[in-house]
Amino acid sequence: MAQPAAPVVVPGTDDEIDIDKPWQVVVWNDPVNTMSYVVYVFRKLFGYDEPKATELMLAVHNEGRAIVSDGPREQAELDCYRLHNHGLWATLEQ
Amino acid sequence: MSHFKAKRGKISVVFTEAERVFLGDVLPFLASLGRNGDDPAATRLKVPVYLDDPAANDEWWRLMGDDLEAGRKADRAVFETLVSGDLTLLDLDQANAVLRVLNEARLALGARLGIDIEEDYDVLSEEGRQAMDYLGWIQEELIIELTKSL
Repeated sequence: MAQPAAPVVVPGTDDEIDIDKPWQVVVWNDPVNTMSYVVYVFRKLFGYDEPKATELMLAVHNEGRAIVSDGPREQAELDCYRLHNHGLWATLEQ
Repeated sequence: MSHFKAKRGKISVVFTEAERVFLGDVLPFLASLGRNGDDPAATRLKVPVYLDDPAANDEWWRLMGDDLEAGRKADRAVFETLVSGDLTLLDLDQANAVLRVLNEARLALGARLGIDIEEDYDVLSEEGRQAMDYLGWIQEELIIELTKSL
């Protein structure tokens, strides 16, 4: 059985990257994308039902941002790509 | 009456000639983005992905940027066929391509018009408001029909 990975230190810095910690995909509010469009995109890309997609859309609208998915870095980067492809501003953070 | 109607997994489209002329202007507008120095519309379509890591952000855009641009060009090709009148029955992939172009046009136009916050809509020129409202209206109609496919 594999041992838990130790934190990785970025060479030349004191920064540590925890390779086991999931990456989060954050969608940010903007004044042009409509509520219905954002709900549609969340449902289409992530398969969320309407209540879940609406809850996330309202979090984006009211709080300025919401975490819409998380996972390994490659998956998070792909999710981010799909959101950008639909015109939503998505960022990645760990 | 809606411009779009879902039926048996496809979406039929009806636009007047005047609407096709207006929508035809969307494509040269999108093709012009970023050609003349600093352009808020081009900036809006290339927002940062890693906010605190410029190197990672550059790398993401190096790896993904060409694919994103190729996808946008493919979407615009579908849109061009639609506004030419040659395409009146969309499959779902085509309908989603049209939806993305409508959204891209609203994002770019909104940036050019200086819409940074929702209140900026209140001070738009009449021409700017009409363009944003019209694009938003037909986008909404298409979302209603596409949602039936989810």
